[in-house]
Amino acid sequence: MRIRDLVYETGSALDANRGRSLLTILGIVIGIGAVIAMTALIGGIKQSLVGEMGLNQARMVYIYCWPGRDITLDDLTALEQRMPEYECLTAASLANAKATSPTKSVDVSVEGVLPSYFKVMGAKTTQGSFYTDEDESASALVAVLDQAAVHQLFGNPDEPVVGKSVQLNGVSYGIVAVMESSSPMSSNGTVWLPFSTCASRLTGNWAVNDISGLAAEDADMSTIASTTKDKLVSYFNMDEETADEDIYVQTMQSVIDELDAMMSSFQLMMTAVASISLLVGGIGIMNMMLTNVTERIREIGLRKALGARSSDITKQFLLESVCLCVVGGVIGIVVGYLGSFALTGLAGGMLDVGGESAAIVPVIDVQSVLMATGICVLIGILFGYYPARRAARLDPVESLRYQ
Amino acid sequence: MLPVIDIRNVHRIYESAAGYTHALKGVSLQVQRGELLCIMGPSGSGKSTLMNILGCLDTPTSGTFMLEGADVSTLTDDELAELRATRLGFVFQSFNLLPHATVLRNVMLPLVYSDCPVGERRERAVRALRAVSLPEPYYDHRSNELSGGQMQRVAIARALVNDPAVILADEPTGNLDSATGDMVLSTFTRLRDEGKTIVLITHDPEVAAWADRTVHIRDGRLLTDEQERALLAADPTVRSST
Ligand SMILES: Nc1ncnc2c1ncn2[C@@H]1O[C@H](COP(=O)(O)OP(=O)(O)OP(=O)(O)O)[C@@H](O)[C@H]1O
Ligand SMILES: [Mg+2]
Repeated sequence: MRIRDLVYETGSALDANRGRSLLTILGIVIGIGAVIAMTALIGGIKQSLVGEMGLNQARMVYIYCWPGRDITLDDLTALEQRMPEYECLTAASLANAKATSPTKSVDVSVEGVLPSYFKVMGAKTTQGSFYTDEDESASALVAVLDQAAVHQLFGNPDEPVVGKSVQLNGVSYGIVAVMESSSPMSSNGTVWLPFSTCASRLTGNWAVNDISGLAAEDADMSTIASTTKDKLVSYFNMDEETADEDIYVQTMQSVIDELDAMMSSFQLMMTAVASISLLVGGIGIMNMMLTNVTERIREIGLRKALGARSSDITKQFLLESVCLCVVGGVIGIVVGYLGSFALTGLAGGMLDVGGESAAIVPVIDVQSVLMATGICVLIGILFGYYPARRAARLDPVESLRYQ
Repeated sequence: MLPVIDIRNVHRIYESAAGYTHALKGVSLQVQRGELLCIMGPSGSGKSTLMNILGCLDTPTSGTFMLEGADVSTLTDDELAELRATRLGFVFQSFNLLPHATVLRNVMLPLVYSDCPVGERRERAVRALRAVSLPEPYYDHRSNELSGGQMQRVAIARALVNDPAVILADEPTGNLDSATGDMVLSTFTRLRDEGKTIVLITHDPEVAAWADRTVHIRDGRLLTDEQERALLAADPTVRSST
């Protein structure tokens, strides 16, 4: 029996039972759909995460520390010397202000940051360039806006605003740069000022609220969190007991780890759902193939009488069940991919990285499509084998007499 | 000359829940190449059992069966399948066509299992259908759209398509009117003249009249025509059981 004959027989058999076949493969469709939806979703989340991260962001470390007193810029310099594993440490102080443009007035969050902050964050400008150390030491009246703030104040995130000015609580600042933001239309604006300017003009206080660091190129990212913690404890003479509550060190690695942990529990759940429906689907296929064999006993007897070997009959029925499963799998892949778009809305809310929810686009790769197809072939063989062997073992004389 | 079919002292005992049935009790039969043999016998006498053994669909409980000089009992299942595909042609009493397949597809079915190149199949099927005089317009009809006589001709074409040495036919004219039956039988005689060996089962003495030789089977035993006549002469009541 040639491959071509096998394909022909399978095609006409499936064609003859179209309605029944479609119902039977529903379990496979759901199972494969779930697997594909899940992988497309996770792929999308990972990709949007990687897209969010600038080149430096993988090396970025966020440090929160409350040693019982305000942290000053002098502390920062001293810490920088004690921690060679960082290329640099930078400080931010946080405030709020009313920002006013010639046409509009909105509330924005203000961050007083050292110029190194932009480097640590791997921030990108859409226009202008960030302020410098000279601006910092001169407490210059300069400001960096993000696209969201530009959108709020000037009506269009891409409006050319460098050289124009913005008022914060009545004081006028020259805009030197606009920072790219991932969703300029939806989030509230942020304005960055030199640390010294913010302290003297807005907060009246030189305390550092947040420390961020850029790890050195050769730093070990897996241990940097704990060494940083130890050094902070010894520098500030903090109580070891309460250090866990007063110090929090977050690396990008730990964000990814947290996300992975969340994803893997989600993944486990989906895998369980998928395997149950694949199992049920497989049993459905087996049931249908057994019915098929019984209905076609005379045909099987005839084929054997005309010279079909047992192996020809096995192949014919096995290919039929494999094809059923693969058709189910292909439908499942399409359904799952479409379904993953619906799921991204759900997951977008859960995933809140860096304050702004990232836009997730499901990603499906060739590998998972091939794997899903492989699983279908496997199920087809697994659950089709018994009915196929049963058909092959039928006695031709008995089968021809069967009514 | 070596007989095409040579069975000696064949027994076939069926085992079933109801007990044993001794369907063939020491049957011996030789059929020569180019012979048209008729087997007659009453219902339940063992005709189909014998036919299944001759067709390599069933194996004797004891005894030997040589087909074209080869001992069938030593062959594996796959070798038997190959024998059925290439050396034997069946015509079943109930046609046994695939109802949803076209006439051509039905006739080409044995070619699938005899490893015939795809390109040759159509031509061979058409040649077989011409040999049974089925009109060309029917070739693409589904076989369940045909009349009984047309179906039987398709079934015979299917038996011919592999150019087998032996054709086995179980009541091939049982469902046909006498004109169509005569046409089928003249097809068989022509095939016989071309050198094929044909064994056909019938109840009908008119059909048996076409045969070169007739054997009778009674209760699992073979009788020659002469023995049958002698039996009937001695006890005319046995005829009624046919
Ligand atoms: N598979 C089987 N299992 C048990 N007994 C069987 C089986 N097949 C046939 N027999 C028995 O063997 C005997 C011969 O049956 P067979 O079918 O050969 O008769 P037949 O001559 O073809 O009859 P008919 O002309 O009615 O077709 C019968 O008594 C039948 O009951
Ligand atoms: Mg019979």
